[in-house]
Amino acid sequence: SSSITDLLNALCSCSLSGVSWKRRALGGVSKESFHRALKKRAYGALLSKLFQDGTKGPASRQSATANTPARNKVLMMCFDLRVAGCREEAERLEELLEKLPEGESSGLKEVDAVLDLLVCLAGCAPPPFTSF
Amino acid sequence: MASAANANLNAVRETMDVLLEISMLLNTGLDMESLSICVRLCEQGINPEALSAVIKELRKASETLKVSENCTN
Repeated sequence: SSSITDLLNALCSCSLSGVSWKRRALGGVSKESFHRALKKRAYGALLSKLFQDGTKGPASRQSATANTPARNKVLMMCFDLRVAGCREEAERLEELLEKLPEGESSGLKEVDAVLDLLVCLAGCAPPPFTSF
Repeated sequence: MASAANANLNAVRETMDVLLEISMLLNTGLDMESLSICVRLCEQGINPEALSAVIKELRKASETLKVSENCTN
């Protein structure tokens, strides 16, 4: 298993896929220097979030959904999808949630944490390209 | 012993497939490679909310780079 630093490095590399470095090197931006800058921003975001969490009092930390189980948050998204008229997607999401094994049977230790992450990232990618 | 390890590997694979499809339906923008890294970071105890902030920050930075690349084309 890799360390957190190795994994963050890998995440930075992933986010640089698709960038052409040949021409960039001519412009003075090397892959290494940009990778270093990315790592700095990644650690900055991670640490600021951790410190924010540490400085908030117990009352302010409790947002409406802070204690909602991850699976319930996904079910709430299914509801939102239905309201938005995306019935098929909502049904598929519910099916997948039922299929998703809980606890040790999933082979993972933190399935609910991963679900929480997916909920935090929901809708933040650009919509898929559709041709006319 | 080996069959238990195989069973666990199959369970992980199935769970990852389900998580990837959920991720696609939720339009998170994660591919299998970055999802696997995120799963391992969560397993190491990284807070999911903090990790989502990291991913959004990395996206912002790499988008800026890609936009500047398009402008110079």
